[in-house]
Amino acid sequence: MPDQPTSPTEERFNHENKVGPHTRIARGPTRVWGLPSRWGRWIRRLAPIVLAPTLLGFAPHLYNNLSFLTTMVVYVVLAEGVNVLYGYTGYLPFGYVGFFGAGAYGAALSISYWHVSGFAALAIGGLAAALIGLVLSPLLRLSGAYFALATLAASQVIYYIVANEPWTYGESGTSLPEIFNANQAYFVALGIMTLAIAVTVFIRESHFGLSLRAIRSDPVSAAMAGINVVKARTLAWFISAALAGLAGAIWAIMTAAFYAESPFDLTISVYAIVFALFGGVRTVLGPVVGAVVLYTLYQYIGISNPQYFELVYGVLIILLVLFLPGGLSSLIGHSGNRPRWLRFVTSRVNRAPELLSGTGQPIPHPRASNQDLGGRENGRDGY
Amino acid sequence: MNDFAKRTSIGLVASSMAFAGLAALSTGSAMGASPKSSSNTISVGTLYASTGSFATSSLPEYAGLQFWAKSVNAHGGMYVAPLKKKEKVKIVAYNDQSDPATATTLYNQLLTQNHVNVMVADFGSVLTAPAITIAKDQKQLLFDVTGSGTSFFSNGANPYVVLTSLPVSAVWPKPVAKLLESLKTKRVAILYCQNDFDQAQATAIQGFLKQKGITPVYFQGVPTTQSDYSTLVQSIKATNPDAVLELGYPNNDIAFLNELKATGTHFKFVLTPFLGQLPTLFSQDVGASTVANTYTYAVPPTLVINKVNLGLGLTAFVHHFAPGKASTVNFLDVAGYNAGLAVQAAFAHATSMSQLGIRAGITAVNGKLQTLEGTFKVDKTGEQVGELLPVAQAVPHGNGYVLKIVYPATPSQKTMVNATPIYPAPTK
Repeated sequence: MPDQPTSPTEERFNHENKVGPHTRIARGPTRVWGLPSRWGRWIRRLAPIVLAPTLLGFAPHLYNNLSFLTTMVVYVVLAEGVNVLYGYTGYLPFGYVGFFGAGAYGAALSISYWHVSGFAALAIGGLAAALIGLVLSPLLRLSGAYFALATLAASQVIYYIVANEPWTYGESGTSLPEIFNANQAYFVALGIMTLAIAVTVFIRESHFGLSLRAIRSDPVSAAMAGINVVKARTLAWFISAALAGLAGAIWAIMTAAFYAESPFDLTISVYAIVFALFGGVRTVLGPVVGAVVLYTLYQYIGISNPQYFELVYGVLIILLVLFLPGGLSSLIGHSGNRPRWLRFVTSRVNRAPELLSGTGQPIPHPRASNQDLGGRENGRDGY
Repeated sequence: MNDFAKRTSIGLVASSMAFAGLAALSTGSAMGASPKSSSNTISVGTLYASTGSFATSSLPEYAGLQFWAKSVNAHGGMYVAPLKKKEKVKIVAYNDQSDPATATTLYNQLLTQNHVNVMVADFGSVLTAPAITIAKDQKQLLFDVTGSGTSFFSNGANPYVVLTSLPVSAVWPKPVAKLLESLKTKRVAILYCQNDFDQAQATAIQGFLKQKGITPVYFQGVPTTQSDYSTLVQSIKATNPDAVLELGYPNNDIAFLNELKATGTHFKFVLTPFLGQLPTLFSQDVGASTVANTYTYAVPPTLVINKVNLGLGLTAFVHHFAPGKASTVNFLDVAGYNAGLAVQAAFAHATSMSQLGIRAGITAVNGKLQTLEGTFKVDKTGEQVGELLPVAQAVPHGNGYVLKIVYPATPSQKTMVNATPIYPAPTK
C-alpha cells in the first residue's frame, strides 16, 4: 500500500518528535482491564453502577448511624451532579444548593398539601429543581466567575422566597413525621445514587458526553464541528439540576422537620464542589470516593476532635488541593493526569511510555505541558 | 503489575480506607472524648455549637447543663428511682457548629453509637428540629430546652418530647397586650421577623388587641436576616404610634435599637423580646442610654424565683454559677441548668429505665415541680405551659439601667412587680 500523503502540520510533528516509519504507536486498546475489549468495556461501564451501591449497602452493618450514611449518599449524588455540570461543561455552580433546596421543598410541600407517596414526592422534588433550572437557564449565557456568582445569587433569591412565604411554611418550618422512615430513606438514597452514577457513565460513554467535552474545551470549535452547543449545555444543566432535586427530596424525607435555613445552607454547595474536586471531576467514581472519604472524615473529626474541626479539615483540604489537584482519581487514571510529584515517583518505579520515537525516546504526552488548574484539560477521562 | 491489577488494587485500597473509616466511626466515641455510657452512670447526650450563628446562645445553655451535672455529681449523683440508688451523670456532647445537617447525624450518633439514656437538644428551633423527628422515630426521650417551634407540638400527643424552658411563643405576648390595654394605648405598631418564633407572637398579639377593638396601625413582617431598619423605622414613625413592638432575634433587636439611636427617633413605648435574655449584650452593642425605658419579657435572672423544690433557687444559682460575676449570668445559662433539673426529676420519679418509664417520671412531677424558672408543667404534646413571662422595663439607674418587672403575667406574679411602667418614655 502506498504511503498516505502527510499534511505540513503532521510533517512538523513527525519531525519534532522524530516520528518515522519505525515508530511504534499504541493503537486502540485490544484489552480493557485485562479482558477482551468488548467484555472489558461493558464491565468497566457496569462496575461502578453495581459496586458503589453494593458496598454502601453493607455500610449500615459497620456503622448504623443512618442519618450520617444517608447524608453521605446525598452528598455523593450532589457531587455527581456537580461533576455532570462542572466536569463535563466547565460551568462551576456555586449556587447549586438552590436546586437542592428546591427539591427538598418540592417534596415537602407535595407531601404536606397533596399527601403524595414518598416516591411521588421524590419525582416532584426532581421536577421542581428541573423547573428552577429552566427558569435559570439564561444564566448559561454567562461564563466563569460571572456564572458562579449568578447561580449563587439565584440560590439566595430562591431561599428568601421560600423562607418568607407562609404557603411554603417558611416561618413555621416543615414537619413530615408521617413519611419518615430512616431505613427506607437510606436505601432509596442508594437508588438515587445508582441513577446518578449511571447517568455519569452514560455521559462518559456517549456521543452526548463527547459533545460536552468538546464544548468544555472550546465551544466555538465545537459549534463549528456541528455540535448544538446550547442544547447540549442546557441538557447537562437540567440533568445536574434534577439530580440535586432528587438529593434534596430524599434529604427532606429523611430529615422530616426542618427550616429553610437547612436545605439552602451554602455549605451544601461548598461541600458538593469540594467533594467532587477532591475525588476528581470528569470521572465516574471520583465524586463517589471524594464524598465518601471526605464526609466520613468530616464526621470522624467532628466526633473525635470537635474543637479542632475547622483547623484539621481546612488544612487537610488545602494539602490535598496542593498535592492532588486532579483529585484522588488522578492516582489511578492516565499517567498524564497525575500530579508532577506523583509522576516523578511513579516514573522511578515503572517506565511505560506509550509512544516511542524512532530513536527510542518517549514523546512527551501533550498533557504534560498543557494542563488546566485541575490537571485534566485535553486528558483522557478516567474512572 | 499490569494496568488492570494496578487499578484494581488501588480501588480496593480506596474502598478499604472508606470502610475502615466507617468502622472507625463506629468505635470513634470510644477513642474520642465521649465514651459510651457504662452501667453505673446515666449518660445525657447533647449537642452544642461552638461556632456559627447559634454559638452565642448555644454555649451558655451548654454551660448551664454542665454546671447541673457537676453539681449533681458533687453530691454523689442523682437518684434513679428504678435502680433505687444514686448514679453519676455523664454528659456526652458533640459540636454541631450551628449546622442542622451535622446536628442530624450527631443526634443519631448519640443514640446509635453512644446509646445515651436521654437526649437534651441544642439551642433554638432550627437545631432542635432534627432531634424532634429522630426522637419520635426512635422512641427516644428528648428534653427540648428552647426549641419552641409550634410545628414541634402540632401533631397531637407525643410522649417523647419535653419542652423544659419556655412556653410556646404564641402565649408570650398575652401580658404585653394587657399592659398596653392598661396604658390605654390605641395606636400600636408591630414589626416582626418572618420566623416561627416572632410571627407566632405577632399574630397572637394582633388577636389579643383585636379583642379589645384595637387594630394595629402598622403590621409588617421582614426577613429574619433584616439588618437595615432605616426605612422601616421612618415608616413606623409616620404612623405616630403610641407603642412599637419589634419582634425579632437578638441581631434584629439590636439593629432596630441602633437605628433609633442613630436617627434620634423616639417612641413612647418600645418592646424587644431578647433584651430580657441578653441584657449584657444589649448594653455592649446598643448602649445603656438607648436601651433605657425599653420593655421586654422578664426571664431569669431578672425574674427572681428562689422558692424551689428541686435544685438551686435563682440567687444561689447565680452565686455558684459565676462567683463574683453575677452580671454575666444570662437566661440561657439558667435554661441549660433547668433542663438538667427536668432530667433529674424524670429519673427520680421514673417507673422503669425504658424511655416511657423515664417519661412517666415527668408526668409524676408535672405541675408540682418548682425550679428557678417557676412551675414546670407540660401538656400532652410536650409543650411547656407552666409559667408565662411577665413584662419588664429597663429602668434608668445611674449610668446604666436595671430591668424591673412592671406587669405580671399571672396573679401569682403580682408580688414580683417592683416598678411602675414609665409611660410615655421620656425623651433622651
